[in-house]
Amino acid sequence: MKKTLKSLFVVCVAVVMTATLASAETLKVGVQAPITGSYANEGQGIDNGTRLLANQINAAGGVMGRQIEVFTCDDQATAMASAICARELVNRGVKMIIGSYTSTAAEAAQKIYYDAGVIQTSDGTADSLTEKGYWTFLRNSFPNSAEAEYAADYMVNVKGYKRIVVVSDFSSYAVGLADATVAAIKALGGNVVSYDKIRADSQNFTPVLTNIRSKNPDVIFSAGYYTDGGQLRAQQVALGINADFIGGDANDNPDFIKLAGSAAKGAKIINVPTVDMLPYDLAKDFINDYEKTYGERPPSIWGLMNIDGMRAIIHAMEQNKSFDTRQAVEYLWNMDEPLEGITGPLKFAKDGNRIGSSYMTFEIQADGSYKIAHQQ
Amino acid sequence: METFFQQLANGLTIGSMFALVALGYTMVYGVMRLINFAHGDMVAASAFVGLTVYTQVMGQASSLFAVIAIFMLTAGLMACVGVVLERVAYRPLRTAPRLSAVVSALGASLVIQNGIMLIWGPRMRIFPELVPQHYWHFGGVVISLIQVLILVISLVLMVALYLFIEKTRIGAAVRASSIDQDAARLMGINVNNIIALIFIIGSSLGAIGGLFIGLYYRGITFNMGWQYGLYAFIAAILGGIGNIPGAMLGGMLLGLFSAFISGYVSSTWADAFTFMLLIFILIVRPTGLLGERVAEKV
Repeated sequence: MKKTLKSLFVVCVAVVMTATLASAETLKVGVQAPITGSYANEGQGIDNGTRLLANQINAAGGVMGRQIEVFTCDDQATAMASAICARELVNRGVKMIIGSYTSTAAEAAQKIYYDAGVIQTSDGTADSLTEKGYWTFLRNSFPNSAEAEYAADYMVNVKGYKRIVVVSDFSSYAVGLADATVAAIKALGGNVVSYDKIRADSQNFTPVLTNIRSKNPDVIFSAGYYTDGGQLRAQQVALGINADFIGGDANDNPDFIKLAGSAAKGAKIINVPTVDMLPYDLAKDFINDYEKTYGERPPSIWGLMNIDGMRAIIHAMEQNKSFDTRQAVEYLWNMDEPLEGITGPLKFAKDGNRIGSSYMTFEIQADGSYKIAHQQ
Repeated sequence: METFFQQLANGLTIGSMFALVALGYTMVYGVMRLINFAHGDMVAASAFVGLTVYTQVMGQASSLFAVIAIFMLTAGLMACVGVVLERVAYRPLRTAPRLSAVVSALGASLVIQNGIMLIWGPRMRIFPELVPQHYWHFGGVVISLIQVLILVISLVLMVALYLFIEKTRIGAAVRASSIDQDAARLMGINVNNIIALIFIIGSSLGAIGGLFIGLYYRGITFNMGWQYGLYAFIAAILGGIGNIPGAMLGGMLLGLFSAFISGYVSSTWADAFTFMLLIFILIVRPTGLLGERVAEKV
């Protein structure tokens, strides 16, 4: 009798303990994004989107009974702050990291998340991100090489440009895209007359552009970010360089048009579809909810790609009925049918790359709207 | 050759902005022997103040009158901020060791920078196109209206400041205070007022520089003061800190030098070469290009 009582007591304690543990335990999600600095706009978009999705899932009962708890760390788009963020978020016990926006920041944190077994999903497009063999990394965008091949094909075969100039800053993203584009142009037999590097945020690009002008280019391809791209375009027009301007995907931001001002008209941007051009119902619903919650539309598709990464990981955990990160990633590698996503079908290769590509060329109109200039 | 003249125009434009900002450093140093590290952030703040004046006070009007009013209002507001800054952060430390004042200046810089971030947010803000996009072509050289305006207004302001300092009674008082504050006080000069005046002039010139940066590059961020402050500081040292024509010369030289290095060597090496030039000039002329004044005081 005494023994039964004792075992009953043990069972009771165990039940109570698991119950309290279960109710207190949450699924911790880390957001690593540039909340301040030049790309704050994008970083806040990632943070807002993650919190919105977490709230939606929590309202519907959470993930397998666990509520999602979001922790945000500002990596300022720098490698140094990124490493600090990674350690802080790992110490908080997060299972997954949403972000960061820039490849530089995502790359600086990769090893820390890999060592901790935390899944990292970033929209960084630098090819180097998936070349290290870290199973923890899932790219939710498409790599630079896919964009570079599209851009080279567009410039050499579609438009037939004879004198191409490529401009890049020193970030791993921009260098990756610019190098890959130059290589792809050469592979297609195109002629790169100049490949220039600029310092991001240095604002005064006129000296470099003056040199570019003397090379008499047909087109300037800017592989960097919109903060520099917008000013490059404005200063290109001010210098009277009569060449087309094509910006890489990171120029796809409303601020590009504002910065370039009256020079924005006619500039082209290569990217996957914009927020407003996403045809999926899932996308329309999420963007509407986002607008209702924050009073503005998501700043770009990049934040939404990160949300897709988060959705994929949570989907995998639910399918596995386990919060194990390794199992979740393996599930995503081996999916037969792609998962429906906000930014298109989601499917991942074993190296962590998202499979597919949907690049387009947009031409900026006088009123700042986009017109599709070329589609694959 | 057209590349050379284009780089010349580029260099003069950016150089005159450096020179305007450098004047603020050099004037404060001349009288107070203090590097006002907050000056670069004051310049950044004035671009944001100018933007707010445009949207809130002027109701987004972009007439010539409105642009002039934005300049006047912003310069006036920043002059007030400069006087308050001096009163709060520097005057209590005037007799303290030099290092305390420098630390106070660094603190003021951080306060202003974070203040901008808290008021206007961490995002890049975009200045409106207030100056018409008008261009002149000389052979292959293109010069825009805004470049001409920046150059002309800067030169006029610098010449006016030079004449004010050299030819007027108040200018003489400023010069006297810079040579020996105690002696100046004995001569009946109110040194406190002179220092306030220095901050008014320096801050309003910096404000005009900040507005030029906003109008020319259009994108302004809360932390851009550091970059422009550093260049202007180098310009001031290059010309001989404490010396007003020196700051003008230093700014112009720095702008031209960085444009030509970017153009003919490599834009990525521009900063490295700029700093090497600074070191070289300081080795050959430790007091800067026009720095006799500093030597005379020692």
